[in-house]
Amino acid sequence: MGRPPAIILRQVSKEYRRDQIRIPVLSRLDLTVAEGEFLALMGPSGSGKTTLLNLIAGLDRPTSGEIIVHDLDLTRLSDSQISRWRSDHVGFIFQTYNLIPVLRADENVELPLLLTKLSRRERRQRARTALRIVGLEGREDHYPRQLSGGQEQRVAIARAIVTDPYLLVADEPTGDLDRQSAEEILNLMEQLNREFEKTIVMVTHDPNAAKRATRILHLDKGQLVDDVTRAEPSPPKVAESAASGDPPYVADLDTARRQEARL
Amino acid sequence: MALVPLRYNLRNLAVRWPTTLLTVLVVAIVVACTCVLFGLVDGLEHSNAISGDPQTLVVLGKRADNETSSYFDVDKAQTIATLDGIATGPPRTDAQAAAGWPDVEGRPLAAGEIVHIPIMTRTDGSRVNLTIRGVDAASPYLRPDFQIVAGRYLRPGTRECILSPGMSRRFTGAQLGSELVVTDKETYRVVGLFTAGGSVAESEVWTGRDDVAAATNRTGSVSSMRIRAASPDAAVALIDTLSNDNRFVLKPIRESKYYADQNLTALFLTFLGSLIAVLLTIGALFAAANTMFAAVKSRTREIGTLRALGFSRPAILFSFLLEAILITTLGGLLGALLSLIASRWSFGISDFNTFTERMIQIRIGLVPLAVAIAMTLAMGIFGGLFPAIRAVRLDVIKALREL
Repeated sequence: MGRPPAIILRQVSKEYRRDQIRIPVLSRLDLTVAEGEFLALMGPSGSGKTTLLNLIAGLDRPTSGEIIVHDLDLTRLSDSQISRWRSDHVGFIFQTYNLIPVLRADENVELPLLLTKLSRRERRQRARTALRIVGLEGREDHYPRQLSGGQEQRVAIARAIVTDPYLLVADEPTGDLDRQSAEEILNLMEQLNREFEKTIVMVTHDPNAAKRATRILHLDKGQLVDDVTRAEPSPPKVAESAASGDPPYVADLDTARRQEARL
Repeated sequence: MALVPLRYNLRNLAVRWPTTLLTVLVVAIVVACTCVLFGLVDGLEHSNAISGDPQTLVVLGKRADNETSSYFDVDKAQTIATLDGIATGPPRTDAQAAAGWPDVEGRPLAAGEIVHIPIMTRTDGSRVNLTIRGVDAASPYLRPDFQIVAGRYLRPGTRECILSPGMSRRFTGAQLGSELVVTDKETYRVVGLFTAGGSVAESEVWTGRDDVAAATNRTGSVSSMRIRAASPDAAVALIDTLSNDNRFVLKPIRESKYYADQNLTALFLTFLGSLIAVLLTIGALFAAANTMFAAVKSRTREIGTLRALGFSRPAILFSFLLEAILITTLGGLLGALLSLIASRWSFGISDFNTFTERMIQIRIGLVPLAVAIAMTLAMGIFGGLFPAIRAVRLDVIKALREL
């Protein structure tokens, strides 16, 4: 692999309690994810993949074990510290987009920046840049209900990357989308992984989506049952998306990067 | 602490405007009702306060507590008028002369009056005690800001009467030019309408003293006497003389104290008002809480998202609390506005001291407004607190899965 580890899980177990009954979800899981990996978590319902994602993203705490993300042991952080860490370093992409319906696209994207010390002008500029990266330039003042599912998910991705986090977590990001929109979202995620070197952890049921990842983990009954790393990532689909009338992301990314370097 | 932007709350209120509007209206009505009630108390206290001049003495019979149960010989009244230390009447202005005021220039400001309280019918058919006051020449000069606003002043001995515009509206036969029928034998023709700065006089029907005496067989006595002392020292001396001098042995009371002692009604209304305010506030609080519970329920996933993005529990609590306070503040403002409109009317209420009709102008002053603000905040804070706490206690992971 060669790259430093971004995420290390040591002997991580998670169980839920319903009344007196203990329900084990993950048991003694060990996992190392390198920086810049695009990890797909697969497995049947109830296999513990979403729980694993929530643990890595700091939304949930393990019953036992250690979770170290970029040299920080999440299990030792207080609730407010972990909240803070999430807002600084994790971008969330949800199956149902989870945009705030009463806020415009740019306001939704700007939301995580309200937790930073950036000025209003800087926040606006960054939100616009993020929207341009996901190919939604000119849609800044649209409300979520005025956008298609695919566009909503792109706004959500812009919101996830606007703070420039080192980790992106996605829970079934294409689960609610039609085939074409799903492809576009996956292209975008692939490019974020390759161009911006974001570490991505994605839960999916869809083998087509999983194929875009650099590594695929299979879980069953709380155990890792399969771990496949692809030797060669598939080539970028720029031509394909341009052909379908979408803006060329790569060209945009370069401009966006230059602009961000100046910010 | 990074706060959830205010526009998030404002737009949510706008998006679910029917619910917002209904809740605002409920709060507005509650605040308006309470404001009016407290405004009534304020008006009553104000009326009593301006009715009482510390340098004017109300002279009652030895054992009387108020004018209704008081009487003494008219001879005594005439002797009192000759005492030293009583202020003298000012020159009559042209306007006063034109309106038919009695001329008391240079004469003592002392008025022996008879109070008579028959049962009368209001325009709405209900029956109530009405104060009819037989007045003396100096009487209008002994009231604050006495003015004839329509018609003219009464002529004593001709069964004429004057009253306030508020009374004129409320009693059958009390309109200018009509005949106010008390009994078959006792009728008065309304020849003028007067105001007296919102004081107690505005709740009375004024006629000549001899007219009342003749109609009620009370010739030779008066109920009370009002005298204005020339100076504070003179007032002290007059009180001493009237209480202790063997010629009188009466009960002189400073007019200000006389009306302050009559504040029982205000006290009762304050109690009633506070009780109603508290009950209504609790009711409206539930309305606000209900609205906010519904808001939290329907926005569970949004709350989960905000928390996942890193907004803290206090920020979420504050956001929902603020939204509740925004609703109730809108309602409070509307309610205050409604009560200000209501304050343009005067109300007839029963006085619990004399059981007579009192005309009161609602006064929306500091007290009603302070009560309105306190109610609004209470409704917002307590109505919003529990829903906000529920929002804060939501489990992020479960909230994110909520549809």
